[in-house]
Amino acid sequence: MTQLIQTTRDDHLIAWFTALAITIHIAESALPSPLPGVKPGLANVITLIVLCRYGWRMAVWVALLRVLIGSVLLGTFLSPTFFLSLSGALASVAILGLGWAVSRAVPGWAPGPLGFGLLAALAHMTGQFWAAYTLFIPHPALLHLFPVLMTLAAVLGIVSGVLTRSVLARLNSNPSIPTIST
Amino acid sequence: MNRWLTRGDWLLLGAVALLLPGLYAVYWHGSGQGLEARVWVDGKPWARIDLFREQHLDVPGVLGVSHLEIGNGQVRFTDSPCQNRQCIHTGWLNEGGDVAACLPNRVSVQIMADDPRFDSINF
Repeated sequence: MTQLIQTTRDDHLIAWFTALAITIHIAESALPSPLPGVKPGLANVITLIVLCRYGWRMAVWVALLRVLIGSVLLGTFLSPTFFLSLSGALASVAILGLGWAVSRAVPGWAPGPLGFGLLAALAHMTGQFWAAYTLFIPHPALLHLFPVLMTLAAVLGIVSGVLTRSVLARLNSNPSIPTIST
Repeated sequence: MNRWLTRGDWLLLGAVALLLPGLYAVYWHGSGQGLEARVWVDGKPWARIDLFREQHLDVPGVLGVSHLEIGNGQVRFTDSPCQNRQCIHTGWLNEGGDVAACLPNRVSVQIMADDPRFDSINF
């Protein structure tokens, strides 16, 4: 007895973009990190691209599936790394949702890729830091690190926004890639 | 997509430019100055002193009298009947958690603060 699951075009797009994000996520995990919790966040560029092209709902799928499947492939599923990553991703999609709602409600003040990149990076760092502080190392000395980490997050967020913008410009000039979400 | 930065982007950049110095101000304020210090003699609390009232204090220790100078939010040993004068060389204490002790005389002084720099100090 076989049951066929009907997939939509959105499902396929989510799968493709998630696969891309996971690839980057894994490649990035091989990079040495100067400080625990600091990563270039290149995989997040994919989330931002999906957000700008297909909207928030699909970006949430890509961001969360990437964290889940990426951790299974790296063997960090349910480890502290996973929970830090997950809290970061949840905070990030939440704030992106807020930004998305604002850009729907007041299009004149809609953030561009750079603004979304900044929001996502800062939220990711905050969520991750909050998890690290409350779940793993509840020591007040850790708080001294927070401003430094947030500064790095802001810089990396801007970088990922710039990258997102240039990738988007190329994608938009290619008519064979579907743009509108259902 | 024509412009590099939208109005929303500028707003966010401005907000972050304000937020980051704020974060440094909040989390890097240091442990703060204490308002009072406590003096122990032979392991027992002997006095609580107001760091902003200028005074000289004679603390009767086990060997003799240790002199403390207090004022302007700071405290220091000025004299003590010990050999090495470690307590005097410690100098002024002005941050929460700072400790100076004259072990031979069993006199110690520590600045109290809400958020001390150290939990404890061992010599």
